[in-house]
Amino acid sequence: MVYFINDIITGALIGLLYALVAMGFVVIYRASKVFNFAQGELVIIGGFIVWFTTMQLGLSLWLSIPLSLVLAGLVGYAIERIFLTKLIGESVFSMVMVTVGLLILLRGLVLLLFGPAVRPFPIIFPLKPLFLGDMLIPMNLLAGGIITIVAAVGLSWFFNRTRSGLRMTAVAEDHVVASSMGISVKGSIAFAWVLGAILSTIGAMIFLSGKSLTFLASDIGFAALPVALFAGLESIGGLILAGVIIGIAQSLTTNYLDPLIGGSLGSVVPYIIMLAILLVRPTGLFGWRTIERV
Amino acid sequence: MICKTTPGLRGLMAAGAMAAAAAMPMTAQAEETYNLALLSDFSGPYADIMPIWTGSREAVFDWWNETSGKDLGVTLNYKNYETRYDAAQVASLWPGIKSELDPIAVVGLGGPDVAALSERLPEDKIPMFMATAAYGYAWQPDSWIFNPRPTYSHESAAFLAWLKEQRGGDEPLKAAIMASEASPAYVDMAKGLELYAEEHPQELDLVEVIYTEVQPTDLTAQMRRVARAGAEALIIQTNTSIVVAAKRGLQANGADIPILMSSHNGLPASGGALGGLDQLEGDYEAYGMAVAADEDTPARQFYETLVAEHGLEAPWSVVTAMGISQGLYTVAVIGHAIEENGAEGLTGEMVREALFARPITAEETHGFLPTLTFTPDAPFPLEGLKVNVGTVRDGKIAIEATGVDVPDVQKW
Repeated sequence: MVYFINDIITGALIGLLYALVAMGFVVIYRASKVFNFAQGELVIIGGFIVWFTTMQLGLSLWLSIPLSLVLAGLVGYAIERIFLTKLIGESVFSMVMVTVGLLILLRGLVLLLFGPAVRPFPIIFPLKPLFLGDMLIPMNLLAGGIITIVAAVGLSWFFNRTRSGLRMTAVAEDHVVASSMGISVKGSIAFAWVLGAILSTIGAMIFLSGKSLTFLASDIGFAALPVALFAGLESIGGLILAGVIIGIAQSLTTNYLDPLIGGSLGSVVPYIIMLAILLVRPTGLFGWRTIERV
Repeated sequence: MICKTTPGLRGLMAAGAMAAAAAMPMTAQAEETYNLALLSDFSGPYADIMPIWTGSREAVFDWWNETSGKDLGVTLNYKNYETRYDAAQVASLWPGIKSELDPIAVVGLGGPDVAALSERLPEDKIPMFMATAAYGYAWQPDSWIFNPRPTYSHESAAFLAWLKEQRGGDEPLKAAIMASEASPAYVDMAKGLELYAEEHPQELDLVEVIYTEVQPTDLTAQMRRVARAGAEALIIQTNTSIVVAAKRGLQANGADIPILMSSHNGLPASGGALGGLDQLEGDYEAYGMAVAADEDTPARQFYETLVAEHGLEAPWSVVTAMGISQGLYTVAVIGHAIEENGAEGLTGEMVREALFARPITAEETHGFLPTLTFTPDAPFPLEGLKVNVGTVRDGKIAIEATGVDVPDVQKW
C-alpha cells in the first residue's frame, strides 16, 4: 500500500513537471494562437545553456542559473525576431509551420554546436530523496512541483489580472484588430517567446538535474503535449490538474500494468486520456469555448 | 569511393560530408573492386558513439586493402549511409544503395536495419554483417543477417551465471532488468531473460522487470523496489541515459547493486555521462567480444597497429572494439569467399556461402571475437559461445573474466 501511495505521489510530481513544460506551449499559444512544436527543443537549448555555464564556464549554480535564464530568454527573443516577427498578420498556419521547421533547425544546431555526446548534467537539486516514513520523494521532482504551482498561480494572475497579460490575450484573438487598438503585437509575441524559453529552461533543470544531457532529451516536449491539450491550450491553471491526472495514470500504468503485459503502455496512456477528453470536449478540460455571432 | 570517417567530424558528418564524399573518385588500384554499404547513425540515439564505431570498422577495411586485399588482388570500397537508427529511413534508402553500390555485403548497425532489411536481403542476395548482439525476434533459420555475438539475453544470462558462481551457494541469483518499448530490441532483451529465468528457476530469480522511457524522468522509486526485492544485479542493456538515471536512483537509496551494461552503453560511455568512470566502480559490462581494458592483449596490439599504420583516431574503448571486430569478421568472410571462388565475379551469395563453409577463427579476428562457427540454423553461432566480463577497478577498466560459457537459452 505504501508503494502504491508513493507511486501516486511520484506520478503526480512527474505530471507537474510535464505541466511546467506544457506551460511553455500555453504561454506562447495564449499570446499568438501559435502551437509551438519546437517546445521540446527549447528545453534542450535551455539544458545546454545551463550545462555550458556550469560545466564549461565553471560558474557556481547561484550565478549560472540566473545567467542561464537570462540567456534562454534572449534565445527565445532572437527566435521570435528572426523567424516569427515577419509573419505577424499572416495566417496562424504559416507560423505553426515555422515552428515545425524550427524543431528540425534547433535539433540540428544543437548537434552542430555541442555534438552528439552524452554529457553529465550538473546536480542542481539534492540527489538524496525526502523520506516520509516508508515513502520517498525525489527532491528534484518535489522542487519542480512547487515551482510549477507557483509559476501557474503567477502566470494565471498575470494573464487574467494585469493590463499586459490582457493585451497579450487580445493579440492572440486577432493581430490586426489588436494593432488597430494600439497594442504592440510584436512586443506581446516576443515576450511570450521569452517566457516560453525561460519556462523550458527551468523544466530542463528539474528534468535533467544529476542525470545526462543529449539532444534526445527534447522528447519531454512530446510527453508534455497531452497535458497541454488535455487542459485546453488557454488554461494555465488547468495544466496543474491535467498534469497530475496524466502523471498519476502514467505512473500506475508503468508500475503495475507494464510488467504484466510486457510493454510500455505507460507511454501511451497520456495520449489515450488526451484523445478521450478531446472527443468529449474538443477544447480540452479548461479550454475556452468560443462563441461566434454571424 | 572510400569515405573515411574520423571522430572529429561528429554532427557535421550527417549534415553533408557524406554527400560530398560520394563524388570522390574511386580508388581502384587492385584488379577487382567490390563495394560495401555501411549503415550509420550520426544524428539519432547512437550519434554519440557512431564516429568512433564507423572510424574503427573503416580502419579495418583500409588495413585489409593494404595487406590481404593486395595479395588477393581485391580492393574493398565502402560508403556510409545515414539511417538515423530508423527502420523507415533504412527501408527508403535501400533501393538507392543497391543501385548505386551493388554491394557484396552490408555492414549494419542495429535493430532498425534488421527490421527494415530482413525480408529484402534474401531477395537481393546480399548478406549483412552486424557488430552487436543478436535479437530473439530475428532468431530464424536461413538468415541473411548475421551477428558475431549471441542475443543480449544469452550475454546477460552468461554474466548472471558467472556472478552466481562467484557468489557461491545454491539459491538462485536475484536480478532485475530495465527495458523500454522505445525499441523492439529493448523489449527483446527483457523477454529473453524472462524466459531463461522461467526455465531455470534454480539459477535466476528475476525479481523486477522495469519498463521506462529512453530518457527517464526519475527512477528513484523504481530503484527502491529493486533494492527491497534483494536484487544482486541490475541488467541494463538499453542505453546510457537509463544507466545514469538508474545509478542516480540507486545512489539516492543508498543501494550498492552492481549494474551490467552491454557494449553500446558500456562502462566508458555511461561513466562519461555520469561524470567519471569512478562512479561505476564495481559495475560490469559483458559481451561476446574482447574487453577494451588497459591490459596488453592481441586485440590491443592489433588496435595499436591500426592507430600507428592505418590512421585510426578512435580511443581504445568498447565501441572501438565493436567496430574493429565487425570489420575483422566481415573481411575474414570475404577473404574466405575469394579463396573459394577466386577474385573475379564475387557475389553476395558467395560471401554468405563462405560464412557457413568454415569457421572464422579467433586468430583471424586477432582475439576480438571467439572462433565463430555459423550455420544456416541461426543468425549467430549456436555453439562455442563465450562472453568476457569487464569491470571498473580503481577507476580503470579491467578484465574480470574471459571465456565465460553461455548457458542454454531457448528461443523465445
